[in-house]
Amino acid sequence: MKRFRRREAQASVGLDVGALAPMVDMMTLLLLFLLRTYSTELAPTPPSGPFALAPTSSEESRHGGIEILVANDAIYVDGQRIAAWDYVGTEGVVKPLYDRLLASRTKARAEVHADGTVPWRRLGRVLATAQAAGLEELAIVGGYRGSL
Amino acid sequence: MKLFRREPEAEADVRPTLLGVVTLMFLLLFFLLATSSGQRLGVVDLRLAAPGEAPPLPHAGLVKSVVVSLQPSAARVEFEVATTDIASSADTRELRAIDVPSSGDRVDLAALLAALETVHRIDGSQERAEVRPSPEVSTATLLAVLDVVRGSSQAPLFSRVSLQ
Repeated sequence: MKRFRRREAQASVGLDVGALAPMVDMMTLLLLFLLRTYSTELAPTPPSGPFALAPTSSEESRHGGIEILVANDAIYVDGQRIAAWDYVGTEGVVKPLYDRLLASRTKARAEVHADGTVPWRRLGRVLATAQAAGLEELAIVGGYRGSL
Repeated sequence: MKLFRREPEAEADVRPTLLGVVTLMFLLLFFLLATSSGQRLGVVDLRLAAPGEAPPLPHAGLVKSVVVSLQPSAARVEFEVATTDIASSADTRELRAIDVPSSGDRVDLAALLAALETVHRIDGSQERAEVRPSPEVSTATLLAVLDVVRGSSQAPLFSRVSLQ
């Protein structure tokens, strides 16, 4: 009896392997999740106002180029406010954007970061303006929403 | 006799190994949390039709063209199918259409996927599709539809999507 009692007492001392295993499982799942969503690039945002990228399942990463940000109130190029929607008319090429893109034609690619609520009548104008300014490669950037 | 008697083997203690793994994972977690921006970006490359651009050469397969007309809460898939598989300069074509209903106030993406899969089953070699959004379609709806039209890496549908 005495011998059994001593064994029980020894088993209760220290870490239990049974308790460690679920912890390792949880950490592995957390690591997997973080690795799937890991990104060091910061999504550009306008200095004011709400802005949320539309979700996409595309896994392609960014390739650089001119950064055009289309918010509901204005257009930004490489962080600089170029035009406000209230002052650019309703049709045709967005002139201030066209001039700005012409000035930076050393880059042939542009990536458009548009707010999810921006309608096509605006986004389409921005893309058409970029195309008119001679940009050959255009892409829309969204927030990745892939699954594990 | 004692020489042949096997000593009962003591069970190996795995706790130090497990603790090492846990410590390493903690360090990795801290590193990832500290350096991650929290939002991964996905890029959708576009092909915009230039003004006055000539239409592409007709596809050799059965499905000649696929057009997705997009409204804020509904969509319509139109596709031209050759009614004969004999190659000739004057083939006969049939315009078919599948209306995609809305799901609440949004386009039913599952129904759109089913419609596009139907077209893809007719001619799996057709890779081109054209998306024509109406002016009020939001960027979120457009990107969601583009994702569906392109398909996934496991089941690609129309990889060459152009916007009109």
